[in-house]
Amino acid sequence: MRPLTDEETTTMFEKLSKYIGENIKLLVDRPDGTFCFRLHDDRVYYMSEKILKLATNISRDKLVSVGTCFGKFTKTTKFRLHITALDFLAPYAKFKVWVKPGAEQSFLYGNHVLKSGLGRITENTNQYQGVVVYSMADVPLGFGVAAKSTQECRRVDPMAIVVFHQTDVGEFIRNEDTLT
Amino acid sequence: MRRLYIGGLSHTITQKDLKDRFGKFGDVEDVELRTRKDDEGVPYKTFGYININISDADLKKCMTVLNKSKWKGGTLQIETAKESILHRFAEERQATAEQRLQPPAAEDKRQKMLDSLSKAGVENFTMKAVVPGTEIPGHEDWVVSKFGRVLPVMQLSCRKGSKARTLKYDPSKYSHNIRRINPPAVDEPTPVTQLTWEVPGGDDDISKKRRGEFPPYQPPRPKKSRTDVVNSSNAVDRIRSEKTESVNNTAAIRVTNGFNLPTNPRLAQRRGAYVYDSDDSGEEIRRLVVTQLTPHVTLSQQADDDKLEVVGYDYLVKSRLSRQQDKGDKDEDEYDSADTDELFASRKPPPQEKPTPLKAEDSSGNSTNRKKMTKKKSKAGEEEEEKYDSSDAEEHLPSRKPSSAQQREDSGKQGSSQSKKVAVLPVVKPSSSESDDDDDDEEDEEESDSDDEEEEEQEEEEEDSTDSDSDLDYEAMFSNVTHLEISFADLKKLAEAYQETSDSTTPNITSDSAERPAPKKGTTPEDILAALMEEDSSEDERKKKKKKRKVVTATQLPAFQGTKALSRGSKTDESQKRQKEEEEGGVVKKQKLDSESSQLNHKATESETSRTLSRQKHTETEKMMSESSEEDEEEEEEEEEKKEELVKSTGAPKVLKTVRTKVPVNAETGSSSSSDEEEEEEEKIKANQSVLISQTAAKASPSSSSSSSEEDEDEQETPSAKNAVKAAPPPAPQSESSTSEEEEEEEDEEEKTTQAPPKVVLGAKEEKKLQKEANKRRLAAVQQRQKETEEHKKLIQGALANLDTPTAGAGKHIVFGSDDDDDEEDEQQTNSEVKTSKKKLLQDSQSEDEATDDDAAANKKGPTKEKVRLKPSGPQLFGGSEDEEDDNEEEDDSRFDIRPQFEGLAGQKLMELQSRFRADERFRMDSRFLEEVEDKEEESERKTNVTEEEEALEEERKKNLSILQSVLGSSQQTCSSKTPVKAKTFRDVSALHYDPSREEHAAFETKTDETKKESKSARKKKREEAQKLPDVSKEIYYDVSGDLKALFGQTKEDVAGGEEKSSWDQEEGEEEEEEEEMDEEEKDEEQIPMPSLLSADTSAKGEDSSVFKFSFFGDEAETESTQTVEYKVESIQAPKVLWQQDPRLQDSSSEEEEEDEEQKDQEEKTSTVAKTTEEETPLKKELFFFYHEDSRLTEGPKLFCRSTQLEDQREQWEERRTALRQEYRKKHKDARRKLKSSHRS
Repeated sequence: MRPLTDEETTTMFEKLSKYIGENIKLLVDRPDGTFCFRLHDDRVYYMSEKILKLATNISRDKLVSVGTCFGKFTKTTKFRLHITALDFLAPYAKFKVWVKPGAEQSFLYGNHVLKSGLGRITENTNQYQGVVVYSMADVPLGFGVAAKSTQECRRVDPMAIVVFHQTDVGEFIRNEDTLT
Repeated sequence: MRRLYIGGLSHTITQKDLKDRFGKFGDVEDVELRTRKDDEGVPYKTFGYININISDADLKKCMTVLNKSKWKGGTLQIETAKESILHRFAEERQATAEQRLQPPAAEDKRQKMLDSLSKAGVENFTMKAVVPGTEIPGHEDWVVSKFGRVLPVMQLSCRKGSKARTLKYDPSKYSHNIRRINPPAVDEPTPVTQLTWEVPGGDDDISKKRRGEFPPYQPPRPKKSRTDVVNSSNAVDRIRSEKTESVNNTAAIRVTNGFNLPTNPRLAQRRGAYVYDSDDSGEEIRRLVVTQLTPHVTLSQQADDDKLEVVGYDYLVKSRLSRQQDKGDKDEDEYDSADTDELFASRKPPPQEKPTPLKAEDSSGNSTNRKKMTKKKSKAGEEEEEKYDSSDAEEHLPSRKPSSAQQREDSGKQGSSQSKKVAVLPVVKPSSSESDDDDDDEEDEEESDSDDEEEEEQEEEEEDSTDSDSDLDYEAMFSNVTHLEISFADLKKLAEAYQETSDSTTPNITSDSAERPAPKKGTTPEDILAALMEEDSSEDERKKKKKKRKVVTATQLPAFQGTKALSRGSKTDESQKRQKEEEEGGVVKKQKLDSESSQLNHKATESETSRTLSRQKHTETEKMMSESSEEDEEEEEEEEEKKEELVKSTGAPKVLKTVRTKVPVNAETGSSSSSDEEEEEEEKIKANQSVLISQTAAKASPSSSSSSSEEDEDEQETPSAKNAVKAAPPPAPQSESSTSEEEEEEEDEEEKTTQAPPKVVLGAKEEKKLQKEANKRRLAAVQQRQKETEEHKKLIQGALANLDTPTAGAGKHIVFGSDDDDDEEDEQQTNSEVKTSKKKLLQDSQSEDEATDDDAAANKKGPTKEKVRLKPSGPQLFGGSEDEEDDNEEEDDSRFDIRPQFEGLAGQKLMELQSRFRADERFRMDSRFLEEVEDKEEESERKTNVTEEEEALEEERKKNLSILQSVLGSSQQTCSSKTPVKAKTFRDVSALHYDPSREEHAAFETKTDETKKESKSARKKKREEAQKLPDVSKEIYYDVSGDLKALFGQTKEDVAGGEEKSSWDQEEGEEEEEEEEMDEEEKDEEQIPMPSLLSADTSAKGEDSSVFKFSFFGDEAETESTQTVEYKVESIQAPKVLWQQDPRLQDSSSEEEEEDEEQKDQEEKTSTVAKTTEEETPLKKELFFFYHEDSRLTEGPKLFCRSTQLEDQREQWEERRTALRQEYRKKHKDARRKLKSSHRS
């Protein structure tokens, strides 16, 4: 477990900023304590200072997970968000997409969101903007990437993909074994 | 009439001459002479026209004679001329006028034309089956146009500009060309009053709409897709309510109504997103109907769904909970997420609102079956049952109720019906276990309530508007009711017991109970009655019902006491007293037992006999209920809460009742449970119940007696009623006693129940009276309730007040169940109950005028006792005994002192340790646990470690932030929690005065060219410097924009630097002057380090002013210098608006740095920014408002006063003026010279 290098930090922040913009600051600079990102086993964990100290007692090979996993670095050194980060990112999300009840399940099974399932969308969402997908009951369901801008969304036919699926809470079940 | 031209006349000839000359040949009418003159007015030609009536012969003669003759110096030339134009016009007009006078001629012409056309085969201007364009034989210009119409080819004169052309218009070549070319006679102008217009049109919708006729508004039906279950269900409801009034019939009818789809209805339903297990038929059918009725809905639905909601950035995500709260709105139902359970839970309305007729089906299959049996209608499927329950219940109720015991659905179908069964149906098999399960069943039912809500709603809506009212009431009644399920076995037992003790006079209790929509279903009629009574007082249910209830109660109570009276004889008073003394009354118990048996007998016998009567009453009551229910609905709503409470309270009694018949243990548990349930509230409620019962009994007794006497039902009843009048007071005490002793209680209850409900048929007058009474009672009950609550409050207040007093230290100790209490718990509770009940009784009696004096007296005695007991008990509830208080006082005083062992750092640690064990005495830490001072050292070491770690973390955090900055590409001010936010200071712009002595104000000066003073060598050097390209750092430059502060502050320089760079590149080859200027600027910057350059690295500056580093983190720049982006800039521009910068933003350290710089740079300029800023600092504190001793107040006036003598100023001014003049002239000359030179060049 080690702190992130600058490159890693930038790549991760770039990714996060797609979803929460400058609100990353609120994650890094928290009034309720010191929180930090740590890299362990190619995964980025977000944890409080206290937990960090506690985790030092555990050897690296035995340590499975600390704090909250935000995502992992792929072999190509890209950063991939994990669904576990949803709890931290959803409150700060700038662009949101609400999915109709009928399309919830589809999304939670890992499918993209079609226009027919799109219930509501934040205005001025750009294409390829990272969005947080909510159910109509405002339960965050996962991350996505806007396939169409808000204006385009109005026009496209119902079966067009509006939001690309990134992660969803269904992964808690589907990827239970790999999700840490 | 001829017109002649006469030429070759001499100029002198007059008209008269002409007339005379030609007069010989004919009658000259008009002479016209014309003279042509040349430019100078000399006539060279004269001629004339004459109109003359002349015959041809005369004309010939005239021509021969006069033509070419010489007359007055000219040869005449005579010719016939054209007719005069005016004359011709006149003639034409006359002709047309004549034509008008003779229209028939034209007609004839047209007719001729038509005839000729018809001859040629043209009928009605049409030729059929002819190629367009063929000419009509016999008519040159007529052609068959398109569509077979015969039209003329027209020659149209067309005027284009000055040319006139004729166009040939061939109608066969144009499609729609039938137009009237000659407009018909112009319509007379319509009078203004008739100027309204009208759109002609047919009967179709559009034309109607054009005319302004709109069909009556029909609200659009919501279209819902099937997938959206909630929506669909709602829609179903609506449609239902509209359409299916007739669906109230049984299921079979419904099915045959044509709503059925060919497919299996169940399947259809299953297709929906969720399936209701409990009831299928109603829902299913409705849904089917909907789907059938709106086949297109799904399509249109999709369209609807396509509606996108676009939300602003500031859209607030509601938390789920809040959502659910809002979910009352049907709109939000759309957004139901998958977890329907939650939804249901949230949507669950207060139980009263939603009646649960369906419960009966699932949970209490028995009752429904029973009903059927009694009805002798065999309904096969559950669906039928459902419908029967939900929709038909209302309709059938009246009919059923007459069969008193069985069909009381009002009081929760199960409970009431069962109770009825108890009375009526002796043939039941015993199943003992069910009684125990009652509680569970109730819970289940409650749960099922939530599930069934929707269905219920739908069903409600199904029913007719008329029915719906009653239904609602009915359901509302049910809503609060918890269901008690009693097995047949129990019932049977009861019945048997009753039968054995037959020959008793008690009328149908069960029927009575059934009549009232008792919310609580007790197996025993007494319980039901009690519940009913409670409802009466608390809920203000239907007044009419109340009337009947009163009657009932009156009859009941009398009967009950009558039996007592029978058994005891004239001991009633004594018995009352005894009962007050409660626990003493073993004898009383025995008596009661005796009375019970007799009462039971009465019941059995009378129930059958009076059934018929009761039936009639029931029907009446039912109707009344339905009517009154509407009125009372509002009231009911208000008192829903109360109902809930009642329900809770009733639960216990039910249990008791159920237990009664079979298991005494259950009764104990019930009582114990009630006792265990902490609150006084419950107790009070119970007490209320009992009180209410007693009240009602007391009230009812007089009325009942009168009614009973009048009606002459049964002989036994009348005496019982009379007895009741006398004995009315005792029931309350009895109940109390019963509470104290469970078995006794049970027995008493039985007695009451059995005896209580004798029914009396009342006349209309009596009913009215009863109504009034009921109203009174209701009001009284409300008052009482309020009083109770107040009392309760007072009690609590008193207890709390005691707590506050220092002596009442006992209050701090809450004794819930000490060993002593455990033993006596039950007793105490029963006592308290009794007391409370007594109190209430007292209140009731006070509030109600009807209560007899005896009763009041008895009651009053009771309450006093209670109070006496309560006082000690009150504090007990909240605190320990008084003995402890004294002991505790000292402790209390010292309690809040900080114990010595908890002082200091170690003490804190100790405290934490101890707090882990809460305040457990066993783990109390005293000074022995204090760690030694050595630990402190260790701790300090640790701390240092910790601080190091923290620092590391902090650094990491900052690094992260910086990276974040770079990632975001915008200058987000890091509002780190640790750096205090700098307060913004107010800068008074109006107070800004140009002060040449101040360095910053140089920004306001327009620059004069001082550059020329520089030496050539210096220029050369500068130029070289300029020509050499600046190093461009390979770092990425993130343009900082958007943040004003940054723009004006630190980043301004960066930007300026950037600009400089570009300008440097561009201006390389340009003129010297500019370069020089820039150089000068450079200089300035070197000389005047900007205050905002705080982050600048001094060392870097020292080496080369062109290299400076900056960071977003002020002071930390030094530490992070490696990471901050570097800029190499040749020169740094002077601050444009230095004065704007708040010197306070600068840290002291940075100032020092600057000062160092200044020392280095001192040779160049004396004034340093740092100094100026230091000077300024006091000034910058300015506030907008003036304050005492404000410097502005002193400085301001100076601006208005002369600081020097006027003459001095004048001298100065004159000197200056001359200088200025010279300068101006010089400049003017220069400019002229330049102009000339430029011209030349």
